[in-house]
Amino acid sequence: MIATVVRVGLLRMWHGRTEILLTFVVPIAFFTIFAFIFDEQIGLGKSPRVDLAIVDEDSTELSREFSTALAQWETLHIYAPADHEGGLFVFSSTEPARALILGGTLPLAVIIPDGWSASLTGSVDDTVDLRLLADSSDPVAIQVVTALLRQTSGRMIAGRVQAQVRTFLSLSPDEYENSPISAIARPVAIEVEDLFAADKANPVVSMYAAGIAVMFLLFGAVGNSGTLLEEEENQTLDRLMCSDLSMIQLLAGKWLLMTVVGIVQVTIMFAWAQLAFGVDLVGHLSGFTVMTVVTAGAASSFALTLAALCRNRAQLNAVAVILILCMSALGGSMVPRYVMSESMQQIGRITFNAWALDGYIKVFWRNLPLTELAPELAVLTATAIVLFGIARLLARRWESS
Amino acid sequence: MTMRDGTTTGETADFEFALRIRDLVKRFGKTTALNHAGLELRRGERLALLGPNGAGKTTLVRCICGRSVPDSGSIEMLGRTLPPNGGRQQLGFVPQEIALYPDLTARENLEAFGRFHSLKGGDLRQSVDWALEWTGLADRARDLIKTFSSGMKRRVNIACGVLHRPLVLLLDEPTVGVDPQSRDRIFLMLEELWRQGNSVLLTTHQLEEAEQQCDRIVIIDHGRAIAEGTLSELIASTVGANRRVIFTLAEACPGLADFTINDDGRELVAEVEDVALELPGLLQKIRENGGQVADLDVNPPSLHSVFIHLTGRELRE
Repeated sequence: MIATVVRVGLLRMWHGRTEILLTFVVPIAFFTIFAFIFDEQIGLGKSPRVDLAIVDEDSTELSREFSTALAQWETLHIYAPADHEGGLFVFSSTEPARALILGGTLPLAVIIPDGWSASLTGSVDDTVDLRLLADSSDPVAIQVVTALLRQTSGRMIAGRVQAQVRTFLSLSPDEYENSPISAIARPVAIEVEDLFAADKANPVVSMYAAGIAVMFLLFGAVGNSGTLLEEEENQTLDRLMCSDLSMIQLLAGKWLLMTVVGIVQVTIMFAWAQLAFGVDLVGHLSGFTVMTVVTAGAASSFALTLAALCRNRAQLNAVAVILILCMSALGGSMVPRYVMSESMQQIGRITFNAWALDGYIKVFWRNLPLTELAPELAVLTATAIVLFGIARLLARRWESS
Repeated sequence: MTMRDGTTTGETADFEFALRIRDLVKRFGKTTALNHAGLELRRGERLALLGPNGAGKTTLVRCICGRSVPDSGSIEMLGRTLPPNGGRQQLGFVPQEIALYPDLTARENLEAFGRFHSLKGGDLRQSVDWALEWTGLADRARDLIKTFSSGMKRRVNIACGVLHRPLVLLLDEPTVGVDPQSRDRIFLMLEELWRQGNSVLLTTHQLEEAEQQCDRIVIIDHGRAIAEGTLSELIASTVGANRRVIFTLAEACPGLADFTINDDGRELVAEVEDVALELPGLLQKIRENGGQVADLDVNPPSLHSVFIHLTGRELRE
């Protein structure tokens, strides 16, 4: 009987090609968009590039050296007009750069004021500082560029100090490098060693694959569970209840169908993630399998409960969209939970999206063994069982109205 | 005629009734949908269940097919009391709606419902092939139900309910929305099943269907059966066997005390036991009073008149 319920569901899906498209292709499309947005930005030691204009009012050898040094940073994209050919472009006055920022074309412009070099070399009494024109809507960019300006100017000053010390002490470059004084003038260097991302092709994309997958698991399962309400409306349920099929078998069949479809849906998405974005699915197959099975099972039970609660398909769709979007937002399907505040992260744990994503992160990001997945597997399995039980109780209305 | 449970018509079986409903009560809050309702469907009988909207038919049907649990009373099928849910293998239920999967083919629908009724393997294939032939849809077996006409859907709808060859059929308005040709075809199909020994309980709003296709009639109102019997028994116990004669006059004619006068005095109604004997006298009375008969209608007592007599002319729901 359960197999027949599954068979009917699969046949209906097979005849409804649009449904197949919605079930398997739309999640991949969504995931691909997210993957392109966040690919190679978070977690790989790379930052998004910041557009920046340079205004060189000083126009000295030192200011040109500074501009060139700034252009060496991968993080910075130095603005140049469309008709500019080759080489670094710098504005000679502030006004054009200011206009670009006010017009929204650029977020930032660094101004090297007249007299900056002289101030730096101590040839004038007054201090002349670098200036940054900024669009404050991007505070992170301001912080990033400020740090890079400090680092660049620090290196230049250190280089000049080294040269002056060497000249003063009449040391050759090698003698200088071997002397204790070289360490004093050396700029502080920081080497970042990423313990998680270093040996992985693209772990962040796997997080987004999991996030999108869980969200679409829920949408897909709810769509499928809505067939129960359709069957109620067109009296197919009356006919089924008159047959040898029991309510528990009907629910179990629907649950199994949704779970199988969900597992296939997530597997296809991760297979695409491996092909297109280098996510290591094959290398994490066992962890992926257990996480996907329990997550799909929990999503199916959730969808069955919603269907048993709602009076008709329209009500189910409305309630489901609100609930799934809230759960996805809180649970990390849309924005990673680690960027949320501590309290929001804790609130997120009431959703099973969060537990599912934590499990996937353990598998794909932290490379943890299966035993470490115990909390997530326990919570998701319990969720699946409890919600199925609730759905069964609620379904009594279809038997004893 | 051999019945599917092994007995033949005329043989005394262990049970007289295919379906026996006694004292069924079902309340929804303050509303009493069934108020000690009862009916008896004899074996091999076709019984029509009639009633105005809101009379309790749907609740009764739901109780029979296990979708609604009565507060009290009992439903026996083939001598066995039915549990609230399940245990209805010998019942073939055909819902009023097209209770099919529109995105499956006719064969796939039949196979699915056959499996839900525990048919397997060769039995399932044989039953599905029989159903496709029986409905005249063998050549459309691989077409999706949603591409079918209303009549074709109705035929498959019935076939899915009888595929497992039950002994008792419960058909809830099986001909709603179909053309006369399809209706005839459906009743030919049902007659075939009846001739094979099935007992049929048919709910309908089509009174001529009840008159023509059923052996007995039960009329239900306010949650209980208010009349039961053959058409002639119902007529005799309600409106009587008199013919109703309606005279339409060219002009209104006062002073005819023996007639009921309608329509501004131009329509005269009289009831007669023997038309041939009494009609000439009535015509003469009208003439003597200066009336001129423009038209004449003689109506025998009908199920319609019985139904209105029992349930009234007031609109329900």
